[in-house]
Amino acid sequence: MEQKQTRQVVIIGGGPAGLTAGYELTKLDVQPVVLEQNDKVGGLARTENYKDYHFDLGGHRFFTKSEPVNQMWHEVLSSDFLRRPRLSRIYYQDKFFFYPLKIWNTLSSLGLWQAILIVMSFMRWQIFPFKKEETYEQWVTNRFGKRLFEIFFKAYTEKVWGIPCSELKAEWAVQRIKNLSFTSALMSMFVRTGDSITTLIEEFHYPRFGPGMLWNEVKHRIEERGGQVLLNSQVTRIHRNGACVDYVAVSKNGGEEYVIPGTDFISSMPISEFVKKLDPVPVDVLEAANRLNYRDFLTVCLIVNKTELFPDNWIYIHEPDVKVGRIQNFKNWSPDMVPDPSTTSLGLEYFCTEGDALWNMSDADLIELGKRELERIGLAEAGDVVDGCVFRVPKAYPIYDADYANYLQIIRDFVDGLENFQTIGRNGLHRYNNQDHSMITGMLAVRNLMFGEENELWSVNADAEYHEEIRHDEKQKSVETLKEKITHIFPRLDPVALGLSFGITAGTLIFAATLFLIIMDGGKAGPHLAALGNFVPGFTVTFQGSVVGLLGLFILGFFVGSIFAYVRNLVVLLSARIIHRDIELYHLRRLFDFI
Amino acid sequence: MQEDNNTIERLVLIELMRLDGVILGLTLGLVCGFGIFLATNILLLKGGVGTHLALLGHFFIGYTVTFGGSLIGLLYGLLFGFIVGYVIASLYNRVANFREKRQSRNG
Repeated sequence: MEQKQTRQVVIIGGGPAGLTAGYELTKLDVQPVVLEQNDKVGGLARTENYKDYHFDLGGHRFFTKSEPVNQMWHEVLSSDFLRRPRLSRIYYQDKFFFYPLKIWNTLSSLGLWQAILIVMSFMRWQIFPFKKEETYEQWVTNRFGKRLFEIFFKAYTEKVWGIPCSELKAEWAVQRIKNLSFTSALMSMFVRTGDSITTLIEEFHYPRFGPGMLWNEVKHRIEERGGQVLLNSQVTRIHRNGACVDYVAVSKNGGEEYVIPGTDFISSMPISEFVKKLDPVPVDVLEAANRLNYRDFLTVCLIVNKTELFPDNWIYIHEPDVKVGRIQNFKNWSPDMVPDPSTTSLGLEYFCTEGDALWNMSDADLIELGKRELERIGLAEAGDVVDGCVFRVPKAYPIYDADYANYLQIIRDFVDGLENFQTIGRNGLHRYNNQDHSMITGMLAVRNLMFGEENELWSVNADAEYHEEIRHDEKQKSVETLKEKITHIFPRLDPVALGLSFGITAGTLIFAATLFLIIMDGGKAGPHLAALGNFVPGFTVTFQGSVVGLLGLFILGFFVGSIFAYVRNLVVLLSARIIHRDIELYHLRRLFDFI
Repeated sequence: MQEDNNTIERLVLIELMRLDGVILGLTLGLVCGFGIFLATNILLLKGGVGTHLALLGHFFIGYTVTFGGSLIGLLYGLLFGFIVGYVIASLYNRVANFREKRQSRNG
């Protein structure tokens, strides 16, 4: 208890990770100070408000396999946590395709000729795949064929990342679909996920007024329990004394700096920003931080004077001749996102990079662009748009480029050496975490701090979805147990052993049968058994013949048994690969859901 | 994908399968027994004499191509199949154990 009272925990960042950490700390009677640079909490999951229209930047479905996260959502939101139906489609060449992709809907919508070309392309790439799968283009093409890749993956992915798919590392997709290892793929089969996956496809949870509602309530509860959540408070400097951080310098509303000391520090600010603000910082770490890149996005919010526009929660825009990447229809997320039911609010999401032409475009120009593109797609008339605004989200996505892992490792090695500091959240870990993963990092950081646990925060990510709450050693144990189970499920038949057992049994049988006939029957049935001589040269119904039969049937049985075992093993291996490929494709079809 | 396939190969077809003598015996016994039973009765229904099938009587004493014989054949088939299945499984397991031990000794 004394330890709790003397702790002064400073949390940098009021997003899902930071606020979750703050919330958990207050439950343990520790009053943290949470510093948020924006005028509202929620970070990348914040909800903006314009004339009482609520805009969820990025669109955040609430689903998780983590029970503590789920509990916290329900605990905070209670009856304001809605269950909503999900519909999302892809717009391409003036047509809408269900997303996740449904093969028959896709082929029938594209038309017979295109469908034939897709199937042929798929077969061609199955037979002659890229030998190396280094790029995203190679990786997807090997699984879907070139034609499907070009229709459904190329344009959208290039919009998101701003670089050609031929330059984007395959690792991005591999990490996003999370189940590439055969172990975890099978885990998704044997650790029952089917029901929850179905649920995730068809419906999701959502706060009545968007994710911001959750984070505002969490802020309120932290403050109620004695913690502080300071808005508009930008950390300008983080002071290090040896292996410890001792204080942060903060500027409120761009004003004069003041110092907040602490015994423990948890940060969800972008790890590169943390390093740049750390004083002192080793040169190589600073250099590595400068090499980490991010992708940003902006949302053009349009208010349309129509009761209903389209039934989707969101639509992916794959059409290459418009810049918009995704369109959110917030009313379909929750009816309460819109104050006037006779209107509809849309969020047109443009992926860009801070400082590029799109990012720097004026809000008025962006709204005009949005109107034009909305009309071009045919979702609404530009004249029906009655109002609009723009929200920019910097550092929305950490970029997994060619060298990021090396640079991140340098930073990680340094940060791990800081005794009273933990970094959490999507940007804090430079990891493509979803909201729930970020929350888990916050929870685990608190457990490390308060209970001396050694939870590995860097490894909490989309890949670990099946065992998020399990501590590292337990997680390792469960993976090992699963591997053991898989080896039990797919055992090997020993071809030599089966060959020998078949051979010995068959040889002995024919030997015994021949002798039996000679002794008991005087060879009356001999002519019929002698027909075996057609297959075993030299076999006759005599004593010598029985020995020849023994050897002949032994050899024959050995071959039959061995070949049977080889073929059976081959079929098992192929089946395992087919299962793996099926699961991989299943996740790949929903790849964009993870963006 | 190469890496993935290697991963698969590290997980499947690693453990050596053991055969259950009773299960294999019962399976083969049922297949043989009902095979003889069905074959005999099909011949009877078709009105054939079944001279070739009757030769089984040399090995299965009492078996004839009649309905009563088909029941006897069923029992013989069950017994014969069970023994063959059991023997195959036992031999397989012994050889597999021996080879596995030898392999582990040789590292």
